[in-house]
Amino acid sequence: MTGQDQALADSRLAFLRRLFSNTMIYVILCLVAVVTIFPFVWVLFTSFKGPNDPIVSVPPQLIPLDPTVANYIRVWNQLPVWRFYLNSILVAVAIVVLNTLFSALAAYPLAKMKFRGREVIFYSLLATFIVPPVLTSIPSFILAVKVFHYYDKLVSVIFPYLVTVINIFLLRQAFKSVPDDLIDAGRIDGAGELRIWLRQAFKSVPDDLIDAGRIDGAGELRIWWSILLPIIRPSLATVAIITFVEQWNNFFWPSLMLHTDEQMTLQVGLVALQGAFLNDARGIAAGVVMTVVPMIIFFVALQQQFIRGLTGAVKG
Amino acid sequence: MSKKLTPYLFLTPALLVIAVFVLYPIGAVVYYSFTEYNIMTPPEWVGLRNYQQLFRDDIFWQAMKHSFTYLLVTPILICLSILLAIVVNRKLPGIQIFRALFFIPVVSGSIAVGIAWRLMWDTNGIINGILLSLGALEEPIQWLAEPAYTLPIAMALTTWLGLGYYMMIFLAGLQNIPEELYDAAEIDGCNAWQKHWYVSIPGLRPQITFVAVISSLAALQVFNEIFTLTGGLGGILNSGVTMVFYLWRKAFRLNQAGMASAIAMVLLMITLAFSIFNMRFLERGTEEQ
Amino acid sequence: MRTKLFALLTLLGIVLSACSPAPVVTPTPEVIEKTVVETQIVEVTPMPAPNPERVIENVEDGAEITIWTFWLSPTFDDYLKNTITRFNEAYPEVTVNWEDHQATFQDDLRNAFAAGNAPDVINLSISEGWVSDYASQGLLLPLDDAVSQDVKDVYFPNLWDQQAVDGKHYQFPWYQGIIVNLVNTKILTDAGLKVEDFPKTIQELPAFCQTIKDATGTLCDIRLSVNDLLAQMTYEGGVQVINDDGTAFSFDSPEAVAWLQLYIDMVKAGTVDKTVLVTDQDRVGLDLFTSGQAAFYNTGPNLIREVRANNPALYGYLSVVPAPVGKSGIVGKGLMALSVKADTAYPNASLALAQFFSNPKSMLEFSKIVAIYPSTPASYDDPFFSAAPVAIEDSAKPYAKDAVSKLADIVPTVPHKAEVNEIVLQAVQKALFEGADPQTVLTEAVAAANALLP
Repeated sequence: MTGQDQALADSRLAFLRRLFSNTMIYVILCLVAVVTIFPFVWVLFTSFKGPNDPIVSVPPQLIPLDPTVANYIRVWNQLPVWRFYLNSILVAVAIVVLNTLFSALAAYPLAKMKFRGREVIFYSLLATFIVPPVLTSIPSFILAVKVFHYYDKLVSVIFPYLVTVINIFLLRQAFKSVPDDLIDAGRIDGAGELRIWLRQAFKSVPDDLIDAGRIDGAGELRIWWSILLPIIRPSLATVAIITFVEQWNNFFWPSLMLHTDEQMTLQVGLVALQGAFLNDARGIAAGVVMTVVPMIIFFVALQQQFIRGLTGAVKG
Repeated sequence: MSKKLTPYLFLTPALLVIAVFVLYPIGAVVYYSFTEYNIMTPPEWVGLRNYQQLFRDDIFWQAMKHSFTYLLVTPILICLSILLAIVVNRKLPGIQIFRALFFIPVVSGSIAVGIAWRLMWDTNGIINGILLSLGALEEPIQWLAEPAYTLPIAMALTTWLGLGYYMMIFLAGLQNIPEELYDAAEIDGCNAWQKHWYVSIPGLRPQITFVAVISSLAALQVFNEIFTLTGGLGGILNSGVTMVFYLWRKAFRLNQAGMASAIAMVLLMITLAFSIFNMRFLERGTEEQ
Repeated sequence: MRTKLFALLTLLGIVLSACSPAPVVTPTPEVIEKTVVETQIVEVTPMPAPNPERVIENVEDGAEITIWTFWLSPTFDDYLKNTITRFNEAYPEVTVNWEDHQATFQDDLRNAFAAGNAPDVINLSISEGWVSDYASQGLLLPLDDAVSQDVKDVYFPNLWDQQAVDGKHYQFPWYQGIIVNLVNTKILTDAGLKVEDFPKTIQELPAFCQTIKDATGTLCDIRLSVNDLLAQMTYEGGVQVINDDGTAFSFDSPEAVAWLQLYIDMVKAGTVDKTVLVTDQDRVGLDLFTSGQAAFYNTGPNLIREVRANNPALYGYLSVVPAPVGKSGIVGKGLMALSVKADTAYPNASLALAQFFSNPKSMLEFSKIVAIYPSTPASYDDPFFSAAPVAIEDSAKPYAKDAVSKLADIVPTVPHKAEVNEIVLQAVQKALFEGADPQTVLTEAVAAANALLP
């Protein structure tokens, strides 16, 4: 056989081999996809089954022959599902905004300032990471009931999460990667300009306070706010997304605090739903669909940001 | 003077919150663990009695056993996720759709998924339906009422939930491995499997470490899956009771905050030991590299 | 001029006084008797007759108290609001705030006690043992010296004595239930059985369940009271769970083993639903029956309304039979009670409210709207109870008074009740699901329980 024929035969073989392996890949992917999607699909179909469609039968009947939206109506009438959503959104947004703010505030000095106790504070904060959340929940619960008196109110689910150590850690990393000269330049940047800027920004602050030397503190704040935060925006986004997903899916603490239907967040409300429709598989299915579908749509729309956010935290 | 105060001012909100919601609770739990406290009446000092009772408590040891058994999820998850990431790490048409698909369980939340699984594995659920139709079963099995099946089903659920998430992490890691390493391996005569063993896996070490730490700490402290699958009961014969579940039951169902605090202290010791172990492992790994 | 007048007046005065008549001897006056009738018209504002329902004295003026009811809203909103209005007619000086709590009642109550704002009057479940739970923590007000004997005599004595702790009483008995079995006659007919075949004793249950399973594949919907197995053992098995001086537990006796064996056999034969058997929520068992998947369920006729609401189709097939009796011969204890919290700011107002809600008239009104039964003998004198039953919910009316007067709490005071019951639950589960020998697990449990005693 000539060299050319051999090359042709080789490339054909290679092509077939690649075709075979690609097909195998697709088969594996489809299998995994089926395993991943199957519960959702089944729940979706079950939620539309009418009273004459059996939930379990031999052979199993997946598609409802008697489709109805009655299950959704039943669940909607019994429990304030829209309220669950509203509460979850309120809580998640509040926490994301405040947590990112406070964590960013705390991360800056830990990354870029020299002061006494910096290492001690940082490593102590890091050490609290190993403390199981369930441990702190017992005294936090007692505090909530006896001292703060915010049992069964949404603030009870916001306050403990105003700061998380992980976020401080991540943002500190982000700040650390900002070159030092940028910050020093900001610090040197004319005290005269600062005074003008301050007057505009903090009109309510009396002159004496500024004159008493608070300029330096406000100066750092200005550096932090107008220079550094924009630079570490990707990290802020990462932290925001991680916190959002974490809070959206948070169940343990909210389940301890929120008892009335109107106060419940989505995850707690779902469990209440399951309790209210105990032997009603169709109703539970409808409830699950109602709570999961919007999140899935939200995720599909913002896929890239989500994935980048959730996995971007892990640097090689 | 203010110059010195600035860092502390920045830190104040964070330190305040941590002090109230983390530091104070740690101290409080230490104290409560030596008391009998039902939250309604003031705590009553009992010394070491909670710890002594715990030591003799069969269910506590059972719970610890279950928590440690749950750790098996971690290596399984790591292997499956890496495999999946390798499969998904190619430019084939439609691959993005598959990646997104695998991620859906992560965004759905463990509660919704747990409830859906509970329906599936119910005596009148689809799992029995399929098995019956295939002839693999004669009578439906009360899956969630069988002590032997409770924990495995929960572990399967955790694995299923984590697969998409860890796959993405490993995928990002794989894409950071320079092509040259693979080319070098190919020149050395490696086939596909060997390439992955000698290049991909070592290259993924940081991600593996991260996943190992996160996943194992999560496995030790699993709660949501157990709660939804057993309806808050912990399974027949406490077959699904893990340490955190037992803690929760003691504190918030049986009103025994003192005993629960003692369990919490034990749990703290365990997570501390685990973290130290993980960090040593980390150091040794980076040294070898 | 003035001095002249003054002198003249003084002179006049002297002259006049000088001229006062000297005592004159007059003849004895004739006594004429004349009756003088003086009619005085007096405006009388009629005093309101004391409200017969006002029986507690020294009620604090301007008292504002809170009452919590357990799972009565929204069905009984009107009744409760009307009763509060009637209460205010008898005790106008008291303001009442009413809250109803449902699935989270115990959690909410615990948190309220912890926060220091627990309700003054609390609707507690006797059947779940809540009264003795809270009383033994010192959270409830003892009633023995707080109310007069007249007040105590209003109730059936067996009900008043329930869940006493250290001989002190902590509850006003409220509405009672007759424990019956709701029967799904459709499943029975499919199994070839009639309502009359329903077992009269607990011991006959296993055979009954076997027949049903063999014929229809339906499992029995039986629930162990997992929070208080000692009580169930006592009622069903006639077991004495603790010795007379309370120094040693004795629930590993032959009677206890026999009782446990009954359930072991049923589990082995696969005739009971295992999840329902050990659930701690009554609703789980009730819902299984309501959805038409069980042949019978042990509950009160007042819950027939749940069946009617959730599964009207089943209502037509419903029948009611008296609950099977255990070896003790007693079916059960009472249902609901009203207690007062120990540190209430307004003890007399709270006592008044609790007493009012549980007085004969209030409970009679309640009985007329739902199949519950009063805890006061006086209520049964009303013609309502002698009228023939119409709907299925009323079928227990004729024998209600008799049944209620026999309800008794025959379980002795058990120290560390929750913990001992937990130990027993573990033992029972081992025997039921792991095939452990009942005698062995019970004896071990007794040993563990005795270790808790001082």
